[in-house]
Amino acid sequence: MAGLDPTVKKETGYIAVWTGALSLLMEGVFLLAGKWDLSVLTGNLAGAAAAIANFLLLGITVVRAAAAPPEKRALKVKSSMTARLLGQAAVCALAVGVLKTNVYATLLPLLFPRIGIAFRPAVDRRRGAGADETEGRDLLD
Amino acid sequence: MVELAVGIMLGLCGLGAGIALIAGIGPGIGEGQAVAAACEAIGRQPEAKSDVTSTMIMGCAIAETTGLYGLIIGILLIFVAPGIFSGILKDTVMALK
Repeated sequence: MAGLDPTVKKETGYIAVWTGALSLLMEGVFLLAGKWDLSVLTGNLAGAAAAIANFLLLGITVVRAAAAPPEKRALKVKSSMTARLLGQAAVCALAVGVLKTNVYATLLPLLFPRIGIAFRPAVDRRRGAGADETEGRDLLD
Repeated sequence: MVELAVGIMLGLCGLGAGIALIAGIGPGIGEGQAVAAACEAIGRQPEAKSDVTSTMIMGCAIAETTGLYGLIIGILLIFVAPGIFSGILKDTVMALK
């Protein structure tokens, strides 16, 4: 983690927080529906880990591609995308097929980063408003 | 006859899963172009590198979701659909008898 780009670290942290929060929410929904068992928890862990690892690898690839020669950039990202997609498919297939985890609890966390990104503008706006308020307070003090 | 029908249904589920995973090709091409364009932007304005990288990563993640939909459909077709469809098929055959 030490050699990572600070932007990648920050964005992966944001996605990890959202994925964790939404995973807890999903566990709660399973509990309320009376369908919770260990396979839901293990599936959730496998899916969430795959989603966060996918985002981290995406960030690393994008930063590396930016430093690569122009003619190799697009190819690097394309091959990484294929490898990551197959990796996620392998993790999910292993979890569902071998560990017998709950299919829905394994697959749903893969979409949690997208939900976190959808809320990003609202979070940024709120942070901006918070910073403005603090600025104002500093000036008043 | 039921065995043949189940076999055809399993084959079609596998075929559908394969077709669903074709959705992974488009985002790969799109991401490649987005990164290439973002690199040009960083080259023009190096001081905006952090902002451009952040937006680029988020944009790539959004583009990738399309491929993930295909992946999820594929896995559901392999692991969930055969059980459901076999049940429906067997129930129908039993009702006809």
